[in-house]
Amino acid sequence: MLPSRRTLYPEIAPYDAGHLQVSEIHSIYYEQSGNPEGKPVVFLHGGPGGGCSPRHRCFFDPDKYRIILFDQRGCGRSTPHASLEENTTWDLIADIEALREHLDVDAWQVFGGSWGSTLALAYAAKHPFAVSQLVLRGIFTLRPQEVLWFYQEGASSIFPEAWEQFVAPIPMGERADLLTAYYIRLTSSDPEVRLEAARAWSTWELSTSHLFPSAEDIHQAASDDEFSLAFARIEAHYFMNQGFFASPWWIYDNIDNLRHIPAVIVQGRYDVVCPVQTAWDLHKAWPEAELRIVDDAGHSAFEPGIIHELVEATDRFADVL
Amino acid sequence: MTALRDDDTLYPEIEPYHFGRLQVSELHDLYFEESGNPKGKPVVFLHGGPGGGTDPKHRRFFDPEKYRIVLFDQRGCGQSDPHASLVDNTTWHLVADVEALREYLGIERWQVFGGSWGSTLAVAYAETYPDRVTELVLRGIFMFTKREAEWFYGKGTRVLFPDAWDDFIAEIPEDEQGDLIAAYYRRLTSDDEAVRDAAAAAWSLWESRVATLLPDPELLRHCADPAFTLAFARIECHYFINGGFLKHEKQLFANLHTIQHIPTTIVHGRYDVICSMENAWRLHKGLPKSDLVVVRDAGHSAFEPGISRALCEATARYADL
Repeated sequence: MLPSRRTLYPEIAPYDAGHLQVSEIHSIYYEQSGNPEGKPVVFLHGGPGGGCSPRHRCFFDPDKYRIILFDQRGCGRSTPHASLEENTTWDLIADIEALREHLDVDAWQVFGGSWGSTLALAYAAKHPFAVSQLVLRGIFTLRPQEVLWFYQEGASSIFPEAWEQFVAPIPMGERADLLTAYYIRLTSSDPEVRLEAARAWSTWELSTSHLFPSAEDIHQAASDDEFSLAFARIEAHYFMNQGFFASPWWIYDNIDNLRHIPAVIVQGRYDVVCPVQTAWDLHKAWPEAELRIVDDAGHSAFEPGIIHELVEATDRFADVL
Repeated sequence: MTALRDDDTLYPEIEPYHFGRLQVSELHDLYFEESGNPKGKPVVFLHGGPGGGTDPKHRRFFDPEKYRIVLFDQRGCGQSDPHASLVDNTTWHLVADVEALREYLGIERWQVFGGSWGSTLAVAYAETYPDRVTELVLRGIFMFTKREAEWFYGKGTRVLFPDAWDDFIAEIPEDEQGDLIAAYYRRLTSDDEAVRDAAAAAWSLWESRVATLLPDPELLRHCADPAFTLAFARIECHYFINGGFLKHEKQLFANLHTIQHIPTTIVHGRYDVICSMENAWRLHKGLPKSDLVVVRDAGHSAFEPGISRALCEATARYADL
């Protein structure tokens, strides 16, 4: 029998919320919850384009943490919605710094999964002294092989039925490069074409994100057109541009900047969106970080074994400066 | 009949009522056994590997009151002699052996049950002798295409189990890693017993570490037994290096038209990372009348609860046909 697992902290409401104008066109939504005097942590959501939800507050002890969530450019409650303009990794990193200064935080814990782990790593490499600890999940470093695994060949072998649905809207002649085919449609001038592509794109990811996918979850998320549109468009935009990194191995090449930062890496064994390979490569480049592989979990942050490890990590770090 | 209780995933343990040996060539002498009901519906169990051998547990997929259950150890493994021999050991020798055993036992037609390599052999046998097969029950599908072989020994499994893969390739010097199968084959057929044994242990460990959804210490122990590993690794590698002795890599798919009339059930674990779900999906498409059972919480092994239950349900459904 497994020892009992940690679960999420109770749902809480924010004590502060607002918008921060980060460029002429972009205004980002942020919020604070938990203890205003507590240890600051910033939550970096996935996608890019996934946005934050109230449940993301629950990875942190609200008595001990000052919990900061924000929606990255173009998604969630940030505006303009689904915009790809001035929307790059480096813009987002500048936003995180702007938010930190706006909220008068010296250094904070950075918590991120999936694309959130990419952004957390890139942010920490650029601004290591602003980061007290890193808690990372479902590791993604945006190398070409990682994008190909999910959008061309790899995950397709484990979920062939869902894959068939994903490729169905794309004509045979364009299937050798599905990412480009989708990008063309997601940025079409025809809103119908954009929306159809966004639904199929999001359905594929939601169909493969849990160890045990539920038809209900997939349907619910894929029928939220506003979510799908931002999620699919912004993801495809970042992946088409290799995350705006100067080289595919940028994170690994800059790993020495952040190796001194205490870190936990949580990874589901059956994460088929961001497979273990990446967490393993990161672990080898950065052996000081603690790697926790969860045997019975997929990609989602809300898999029971993943929640357990994440909450354990934030608890352990709660009393550390 | 012996009913399967809700919490059972296998029929009770039974002993064979008859066992013996069949000389199938000048060199090869096979062990076979019969259990269950001598007047029951005949079924032949084809084990995996090739080289895996049978186990008393393999009798338990069948209602012993309804089935005449035939198990045998394929050339070179289990209790068949000569142990671990690669001479005259090909797919087509094994197909001929299955037929020789059927005739020897005076069986007109039988159900053919096989998982993993057993599914390959079952389809090869059925395509060669379609009139001798009443039903096919197939699990953990492997049709020996290049794509399927490359998934396990190169492109796919390693991405999900990079830690186990690192141990698998550590056995081989870097300059030989370009063709791992050939490198392993040289060692498995070496004159030096210590070299053979070390290679066999590493080969078998790779497979057993990734065979179940969750790590299974019992399976790891079984697969570390030198009596098992030598035959398993040598014979398996011998078949892999020879492309399963198929005339062309898609031979089994090309001949599916010959077995469309045979009632077929395909059982596959969603997280089978040895033989990916895609293999089952493609076979199901090639046999559109087949029943496909996808087990959401299982890997490759025949003995994970969802898999063994689905297999027992299939044989129960066919018992009165």
